Amino acid sequence: MVVPPSSVSYAQSLAGAPETRLTALDNGLRVASEETGHATCTVGLWIGAGSRYESEKNNGAGFFLEHMAFKGTKKHPQTALEQEVESMGAHLSAYTSREHTAYYMKTLAKDLPKAVELLSEVVQHCSLNEADVEQQRAVVLRELEEVEGNLQEVCLDLLHATAFQGTPLSYSVLGPSSNARTLSRQDLVEYLGSHYKAPRMVLSAAGGVNHEELVGLAKTHFSGLSFEYEGDAIPVLSPCRFTGSEIRMRDDAMPLAHVAIAVEGARVGSPDIVPLMVANSIIGSYDIKSGGGKNMSSRLAAMAAEENFCESFQAFHSSYSDTGLMGMYFVTDMHHIEDMMHWSQNAWSVMNMCTTVTDSDVARGKKSLKASLVAQLNGTTPICDDIGRHVLNYGRRVPLAEWDARINAVTPKMVRDVCSKYIYDKCPAVAAVGPVEQLPDYNRTRASMYWLRF
Amino acid sequence: MMSIAARRSAIGTCLQFTKPTVNASVFSRLVKDFVPAASANGKVPHLISRVNHIIRPVRDPLLSSQFYFRSEFTGATGIRLAHTDIKVPDFSDYRRPEVQDPNKSSQDSSEARKVFSYLVTGATTVVTVYAAKTVVSQFVSSMSASADVLALSKIEVKLADIPEGRNMTFKWRGKPLFVRHRTEKEIATEEGVNLGELRDPQHDKDRVQNPKWVIVLGVCTHLGCVPIANAGDYGGYYCPCHGSHYDASGRIRKGPAPLNLEVPFYEFVDEDTVVVG
Repeated sequence: MVVPPSSVSYAQSLAGAPETRLTALDNGLRVASEETGHATCTVGLWIGAGSRYESEKNNGAGFFLEHMAFKGTKKHPQTALEQEVESMGAHLSAYTSREHTAYYMKTLAKDLPKAVELLSEVVQHCSLNEADVEQQRAVVLRELEEVEGNLQEVCLDLLHATAFQGTPLSYSVLGPSSNARTLSRQDLVEYLGSHYKAPRMVLSAAGGVNHEELVGLAKTHFSGLSFEYEGDAIPVLSPCRFTGSEIRMRDDAMPLAHVAIAVEGARVGSPDIVPLMVANSIIGSYDIKSGGGKNMSSRLAAMAAEENFCESFQAFHSSYSDTGLMGMYFVTDMHHIEDMMHWSQNAWSVMNMCTTVTDSDVARGKKSLKASLVAQLNGTTPICDDIGRHVLNYGRRVPLAEWDARINAVTPKMVRDVCSKYIYDKCPAVAAVGPVEQLPDYNRTRASMYWLRF
Repeated sequence: MMSIAARRSAIGTCLQFTKPTVNASVFSRLVKDFVPAASANGKVPHLISRVNHIIRPVRDPLLSSQFYFRSEFTGATGIRLAHTDIKVPDFSDYRRPEVQDPNKSSQDSSEARKVFSYLVTGATTVVTVYAAKTVVSQFVSSMSASADVLALSKIEVKLADIPEGRNMTFKWRGKPLFVRHRTEKEIATEEGVNLGELRDPQHDKDRVQNPKWVIVLGVCTHLGCVPIANAGDYGGYYCPCHGSHYDASGRIRKGPAPLNLEVPFYEFVDEDTVVVG
């Protein structure tokens, strides 16, 4: 059988992508969906709540609540809930991040009504038994132990803790172990009551879903969702101060050092996001297990491969509603930390903003960014997640065509100017875990953020 | 190695760790569960937890009827707290006023703060460089001539002490200095000398500021001997070493010397005093 070559070009496929429809209910709940024609669908609730909304006393409540979510609702005790989900052959999952929480279910398209019903119960009528709370406490503690083994998580958590010290963005999603031991059912109920409000929630779906049907289901199940706050105390997010600082968790017994360095980046709605994303694509990422070796297109990656500077590195940009963290994360052994830090800063703060970013670098970065944006949306779940997060962040879904247009508009001069604005001579935040004796002193790192030449 | 001995009956309450950790909470619960089993069947299995924490029964020799539980940590006791327990200290005492408020973005003030820091650094650098230069020059210039040596470079001569027609010799800069109080006759003679006859032609008025006083170095220009005053054929000086004759203006007239006696720099401070050098 011969497969005919695709007769649809990239531009055509972007233009022909299904539209994301968005409706709002009376209580403020937004319903968004994309009908992709798949036989399966992912539907979920994206909530604008996370560790950033917590306080020092209840840091970790969101995470705890996520654990409690699937322990049964008022109508369906735990076993009944599990049975319902299993009998549909569905997957029920959740995640909590600093600014978002999501509960979603992956199921067959025809099971959409049941899925929405179950989700509505999980979010609105979680039973929160005392016994379950105690049992989950042990699970949360164990998970805290386990996450210590995931050094990437540890390093990036420490980065946030130091970069945004004194502000709610410094809190880790997991919360400290003392809170895990003392959070009570009452705390969880309070957290639910103050943050799970309709205007901050999005019911998002992608797959073989019909938007009108979804809106009808939302009206049926989510009309009762509260939109009023007790005492009219609407939680307002205040800006979070970024502090250039450093934290080191030195342990010479570990085999590899994990180091992250970041400057304050762009907020979610900023027009600078796209040039910064292009800049990060130019630097790219590298893993010693990947096959590119010294022929990788990113100069830093090629150098890392040839000189064996690191096990892996990646450039990252985490955006929040009013601030961001843009940086580099690398894993290396104890003898190459200084080299890797030097060359990372060189690539980052120098190649991309002194007059050395070339047209071909930017063209390459743009292409690879477009490719990765498209490649990420490879299933109903990533699409549903994209929709949910976009509606929470921007108030609408940003279509791929728009990303494409914005990426096309990026020029080398734009990359240089934007990167200079965020990186040049700014105080970075540095977090390091492992055998980090060789990591240069913070003053040296700070001094490498500019060149004494014009 | 940490050892905690505990009585079996009170094991739950006695095993208090000063630093409650994630491991410890799990551990103490396990111990609580563990105890009844021991009493039930008398067999006491070992309990080994993650950090090589071993509980084993010990028969105390003094109280032979009682079992004690001895808990030991062996090996590396890496009890690690969760990384989320790490609290970044509050550095408010060290923060500048613009960044004290955690609810205000630090970007707005970043330019101002940087400019201030760089200005202070720049000014300090300039001052330090100047200070360093001063210190170094002071040390280097200490190797140059000292004040007493420099003082020797000038000599003050009281002219009233020198009678007319006489020549006085002073030691100046290690050399003899002749100060001659000339008579009218000598002045007239010297001024009338024809320059054509001179080996080193110089008119008298070019060699003196005040014709009454001739101030020259008493070093013969031939080979450096000291000429004798008021001697020789020309009424001036005569060098005994090789027979050079100088006149009352210090000019060479006869003999092997090639040049006139050297006239140093001098100035008349007042009628009676001249400073040479």
